[in-house]
Amino acid sequence: MSASQEYFEEKEKIDFLFYRGFRVTRVTENLDGAAVEFERTGAAGQEKEVLHLQTADARKYFSSILFHQQRNLTPAE
Amino acid sequence: MADLRINLAGIESPNPYWLASAPPTNSGYQVQRAFEAGWGGAVWKTLGEPIINTTARFAAVGFNGKKVAGFNNIELITDRPLEVNLKEIYETKKRFPNHAIIASLMVEPNREKWHEIVKRVEDVGVDGLELNFGCPHGMAERGMGAASGQQPDLVEAQTMWVKEAAKTPVIVKLTPNITDITVTARAAVQGGADAISMINTINSLAGVDIDTWNTIPHVAGKGAHGGYCGPAVKPIALNMVAECARNPHINVPISGIGGISAWRDAVEFMLMGAGGVQVCTAAMHHGFSIVEDMIDGLSNYLDEKGISSVQEIIGKSVERYSDWGNLDLNYRIVARINNDVCINCNKCHIACEDTSHQCIDMLTDPNGQKYLEVREDDCVGCNLCSIVCPEDGAIDMIELPQEQPPMTWNERQAVLAGYKDNEREAAK
Amino acid sequence: MSNGNRAFISLQDLQRNFDEVKSGLTPAEARDESNRCLYCYDAPCIQACPTGINIPSFIKKIASGNLKGSARTIMESNPVGASCARVCPTEELCEGACVLNDSTKPIMIGDLQRYATDWAIKNEQTLFKAGEKNGLKVAVIGGGPAGLSSARELALLGYEVTIFEAKEKAGGLNTYGIVSFRLPQKVSLWEVQQVEKLGVKIKTNTMIGRDIQPEEILANYDAVVLAVGMSKVPMLRIDGEDLVGVHDAIQFVEETKTKELSEAYIGKRVAVIGAGNTAIDAATCSVRLGAENVKILYRRTQEEMTAYDFEFEFAKQDNVEFRWLTAPKRIIGDEKGHVKQLECIRMQLGEPGADGRRGPAPIEGSEFLLEVDVVIKAIGQTRFTDLIESFGLEHQWGTVKVNLETYQTSNEKVFAAGDVIFGDGQGEAMVVTAAQQGKKTAYAIHQALKNSIIETA
Repeated sequence: MSASQEYFEEKEKIDFLFYRGFRVTRVTENLDGAAVEFERTGAAGQEKEVLHLQTADARKYFSSILFHQQRNLTPAE
Repeated sequence: MADLRINLAGIESPNPYWLASAPPTNSGYQVQRAFEAGWGGAVWKTLGEPIINTTARFAAVGFNGKKVAGFNNIELITDRPLEVNLKEIYETKKRFPNHAIIASLMVEPNREKWHEIVKRVEDVGVDGLELNFGCPHGMAERGMGAASGQQPDLVEAQTMWVKEAAKTPVIVKLTPNITDITVTARAAVQGGADAISMINTINSLAGVDIDTWNTIPHVAGKGAHGGYCGPAVKPIALNMVAECARNPHINVPISGIGGISAWRDAVEFMLMGAGGVQVCTAAMHHGFSIVEDMIDGLSNYLDEKGISSVQEIIGKSVERYSDWGNLDLNYRIVARINNDVCINCNKCHIACEDTSHQCIDMLTDPNGQKYLEVREDDCVGCNLCSIVCPEDGAIDMIELPQEQPPMTWNERQAVLAGYKDNEREAAK
Repeated sequence: MSNGNRAFISLQDLQRNFDEVKSGLTPAEARDESNRCLYCYDAPCIQACPTGINIPSFIKKIASGNLKGSARTIMESNPVGASCARVCPTEELCEGACVLNDSTKPIMIGDLQRYATDWAIKNEQTLFKAGEKNGLKVAVIGGGPAGLSSARELALLGYEVTIFEAKEKAGGLNTYGIVSFRLPQKVSLWEVQQVEKLGVKIKTNTMIGRDIQPEEILANYDAVVLAVGMSKVPMLRIDGEDLVGVHDAIQFVEETKTKELSEAYIGKRVAVIGAGNTAIDAATCSVRLGAENVKILYRRTQEEMTAYDFEFEFAKQDNVEFRWLTAPKRIIGDEKGHVKQLECIRMQLGEPGADGRRGPAPIEGSEFLLEVDVVIKAIGQTRFTDLIESFGLEHQWGTVKVNLETYQTSNEKVFAAGDVIFGDGQGEAMVVTAAQQGKKTAYAIHQALKNSIIETA
């Protein structure tokens, strides 16, 4: 499998969780990549998902989303 | 025609090209020939207690049949009495009052010795002083040159001593044989340097003769490390100039040295913050007349850009030089092969396949014609294929629209800190 | 690069056949070749160039990416340096002197010179500025290489220069006389334009004696440069010379550069008389006009031929046949007055004459007939003797006598350069020599007149 394919698969998972209303609560980066914990509170109560991201592009992608979410949330001072 | 005059820390010269302190500036005869050829200034071969040289002093490193990609020397400072040099400096300055003559100096780290030599050289009318804290061989064993230039406290103290006596601008020449040149550069600034120059030569051994097992060069069967310079050292020098230029604590002009062989090199150094440049190896390879194209090419370049004075380009690229952590991780370029230009050597394919990211495919079209194609999704934009490509225009690196807005590593780490256990703990 | 093999001749599109045969260097070729130059000191290539171009310097500038500077270095020494890049016999001059002949292979100086000047042409560069006007006026008669070169230097020195040119355009031989596939007209016209940009007035279609009189010129100018070159091809003085199909080689070549290409030569058999560079040009033009067979007839042998070796090779690649020791005796026409046959006679060489060349003599009874449709005469050029005499200048068979130091003629106000002084032991008939002589006349004029500048100032 090509590197881009691995990335697309991981990206899809990230997008799907965000689409379903999950938000990132915790990130653990280690020698094997990044473990990103997602949570949402819905009708079914607290739900938790963990994505283990291995590709560099996916690790860049989720952090980029967090970065820009935060930037957009932070009011200009 | 653009104005090529420079003023580096108060030292004026008709153009930014100075001969560096080295064999070409050994005597009045040579420096006067250089000025006739068009050089704007000369840093006289280092004055100090006259030394004794070996024979067999230089060696060069060729690359794939091209001579002098790099140059190595074990020659020391002047071997002529100070009085003789001073007389020739005086005569040369009298004949060329508008050209810059800078005296390179090296004495023991002793306040009185510095005061004495400064006074004597300033008396003959030099335009400035350059303190040689960089010579990596011969003098270092005697506690001078690089030996003092590698110790920030000695750089600072000696600069201060010189400044106590000097009436002309003082340039401190730094050695690259050190982990972080900005440390010694800051020491020089703290000592009161009016300018810094870099780089001196890099410790080197040009080669070993595989038949005789002698070093290259050797002196009666023995060798010692020399100082490396010439085109090969340019990227090292350029980085050191740029690091100093962008350091807010190093706020003095920089004289750029290291592998400058043509006008383009000079433009690069000046864009990266050099207020002027010094040249040696190129002149040793081709003679003083090379300055003609250096002047002409620079002048045509400035005219074409509509820039009226060469001083306007100084430092224009400095703000574009930063730390890795400030680079945008979301910037994307990919390789694109122009098959109508490609000559099908397949060098890009094998470079990518063996040593990069396996994204250049060797394909055959319906007519049986072989061609190469980049799988852009897998291309990491490393540039390697375009570097090994022998044919101009066969591979372009194309900017892609960014999927995500810009984000640097530093920004990423800052935002992730809020999501990390250990850092959350630390914050509490 | 497409040199080396016979050019493809199209009978449908003749114009194509006249496109420049040799392509210029690519940027990559120029980079590699320029970096091969050793940048010699006191370089023999400079010594070998009649105009003394600083060749290592212009090549270094190509290597450094300073193409404007490179073109300026070339044109500074040689005001027709773009043309010379194409027409100079470089293997006899600069490239022949290159030190690399003794180690690898010589630098392609001509091709690099073309690369730099082509860049300047393409990028519409103006390379020089006129000097401050000094109040003196010089007339230059003839706008060929010598005249242009002289005018350029004089303009740089501050003279007000007027060129009188009989033809519609200036450039002389470079514009009209060298075949397009070796020297496109636009190259020569760019050189003319460079001179015009210095404020030099070029009065074209202006013939001395017809449109303006010598006396008027002598009265109105402080000095005169006579650079009129040479005239048409002389008569063969044989029967049938007035038949339809007999041409003057100079005019023949000129027509291919000034008029729509004639289709009248397609499939024809052509005989060219003579074996100089003009004969080769006429022969290769004939091939490109679609002639089926082209022969060069020469009464001596290859040894005595005056065409350059590379011209000879070029003609051979075009399948031009060479008939040595063959002289025309009579041109035979058909009932309509068209060329039909050429009667020739075989020759043999006798003892060397006064000029060192062995003289040809006919072999009795060796006459034979060639079936030809066209005969082109290329046996040298006549002189503008009347014009020379109208200025009252001393000459020898139309070769103006000059002092070879000062290029001054028997009238101290009149200087002469180029082909008008070629022959009779004076100089060489190369474009590059004419350019150098033009420069030298300019300096000689300046030497003679500079005192009057100081007086007027």
